[in-house]
Amino acid sequence: MEEEYLPEYGPKWSDQRAGRMLGALVCAVVGLLLAMIVTVFVHAWPSFSHNGLAWFGAGGSVEEQLNQIYLSGLSGAEYVYTFHAWQLIWSTLLIAGGAVTIALFSALFVSVFIVEFAPEWMRNVLQPVVRFLASVPSVIYGLLGVLVIVPFIGNHLVTESQKSSVAGVISLSGYSLLAAVLILTVMIAPLMVSIFSDGLRSVRPGWLEGSLALGVNRWRTTWKIAVRTARPAIVAGTVLAVARAIGEAVMLAMVSGSVAFAPNPADGLIFIYEPSRPLAPTIVKNIDSLGSPPANATLFAIAAVLLFSAAFFSLTGWVARRAMRKYGATA
Amino acid sequence: MRIKTIAISAIALVALAVPATAGAVTLIGSGSVAAQPVLQALFSTYTKKVNHKVHFVYTANGGNAGVKDVQNGTSQFAGQARTPLPSDAGTTYIKFYLDGLCIDVNPKNKLGNISIQQTHDIYRGLLTNWSQVPGSGLDTTIDPVGRDTNGGTYNFFLQAVLGNELPSSNVNALTADGLVVNAVKQDPNAIGYDGLAWQGKGQKALKVNGVKCTPSKISVDPLKYPLSRYIFLVLPGDGSSSPPALGKFIDWARRSPLAGEAISKAGGVPAFNKKAKKH
Repeated sequence: MEEEYLPEYGPKWSDQRAGRMLGALVCAVVGLLLAMIVTVFVHAWPSFSHNGLAWFGAGGSVEEQLNQIYLSGLSGAEYVYTFHAWQLIWSTLLIAGGAVTIALFSALFVSVFIVEFAPEWMRNVLQPVVRFLASVPSVIYGLLGVLVIVPFIGNHLVTESQKSSVAGVISLSGYSLLAAVLILTVMIAPLMVSIFSDGLRSVRPGWLEGSLALGVNRWRTTWKIAVRTARPAIVAGTVLAVARAIGEAVMLAMVSGSVAFAPNPADGLIFIYEPSRPLAPTIVKNIDSLGSPPANATLFAIAAVLLFSAAFFSLTGWVARRAMRKYGATA
Repeated sequence: MRIKTIAISAIALVALAVPATAGAVTLIGSGSVAAQPVLQALFSTYTKKVNHKVHFVYTANGGNAGVKDVQNGTSQFAGQARTPLPSDAGTTYIKFYLDGLCIDVNPKNKLGNISIQQTHDIYRGLLTNWSQVPGSGLDTTIDPVGRDTNGGTYNFFLQAVLGNELPSSNVNALTADGLVVNAVKQDPNAIGYDGLAWQGKGQKALKVNGVKCTPSKISVDPLKYPLSRYIFLVLPGDGSSSPPALGKFIDWARRSPLAGEAISKAGGVPAFNKKAKKH
């Protein structure tokens, strides 16, 4: 007697296995991310709650404050949390902002050249080179900075009269805003170029051909049609670059100057030679004081600010890309 | 058939592996970056020439982090370049060998001797021009470089030179001893500090209070050179719970002439080792 074949309801387990396992993996990743955010903010909370909004303000020397915080955790007396991070925040804004601004314009022109104007053989050379540059580890750029850029600035660009004008306050020895911005630009520009050119390449050929057929010249077509359509990609690339610039720690710890000092544009030309220390390298440089509970909270507070700004920028990028979806190109 | 082959080869593998691993010990340590060159030299000499069965793993994560590792049991010993602090509770410090902190300038600087007071004033931002330091032959702004707060070198300098005051804001705090050496090499106006193991071409060690920064000056009369210090090995508890192999190694490293040679070759100064017999 033959059994009648009855189909089960829904697909079999073996058919769903891959889907469910990948789903579980995604849930695990999201859970991990949430756990990380919660851990960082819980550790950081004492520092924020003691300082309030003054945490982000100016006041006193960051170095002195970090030392007081560290020592109070060792002595067993009441913990000190007073911390005003403005010098570090200002340095982060200057270095990341400067590098992203320069990199944005140069990367835009380079990617337009690669996609629209470069001859075939040159494009075949440039594309892999840019991809490779985008993946060079930052510590290599840091070494180049310490061995080449910093001594060059210190020994050849900065003059003795400039150095003596700020003697005793800061040293203009080459570890400077200029070195940091220069190297950070070189570090993030290839990343932007590779994303920008992907965006430019995905512009519908028909739109460009239509414009050319109407007699509009090539540069104008590129600028008005291709670059405009590729704007979501430009936003996406810039957001990634900003995130990398703000989070960069090792390279900046090596070349930016490591002094918690707020470079002042009112100082004139020496402004770009002034040393400073952004947020991320501050964590690297004080990692030994993690054993002291209040210092631990302060360093985690810095980490929380970095984490928050990364989330903020990726959200801004998402909103901007949504608004531009009507132009048709995808990032 | 196949299962049998696998089983036999597994047994053969185990049989081969047993004699090789019998009695082998791996000792795990971490800590001072300043002590790393000397410790590595001692480890390899010990494994090669004294006991093949003892191996060492040492992570140079900074003295303070090393002591933490010993306190929470992740390391069996730590290298440490500073004297004990209250936060080191529950550990034992053993004097291991001597090390000197040298004050270095660029070879273009004519200065030969510097006092602790002058060094203090430079790193506190009171002396800012080489013309204020007689004998330098320079009239340019001083570029002082130092270490960041990680590691024993900074703490030692802070205690010995600055009287636990923080360095002035014009001191460039670099992340590693090697970067300090590099900065002094490349900048004719720089002054920096680093351990004996780092002394070499490209930078010039100064006499401090008239005493030369060389191994012989430090070992003849320990601590006569103003910036000399003991490098410690840190053990958990009172040291009695450490594995016997570690104890034997420490005895050997502190006493034997062979270890003394290894210490001096790597840039340290043997403190207790018997001198090797001269032929």
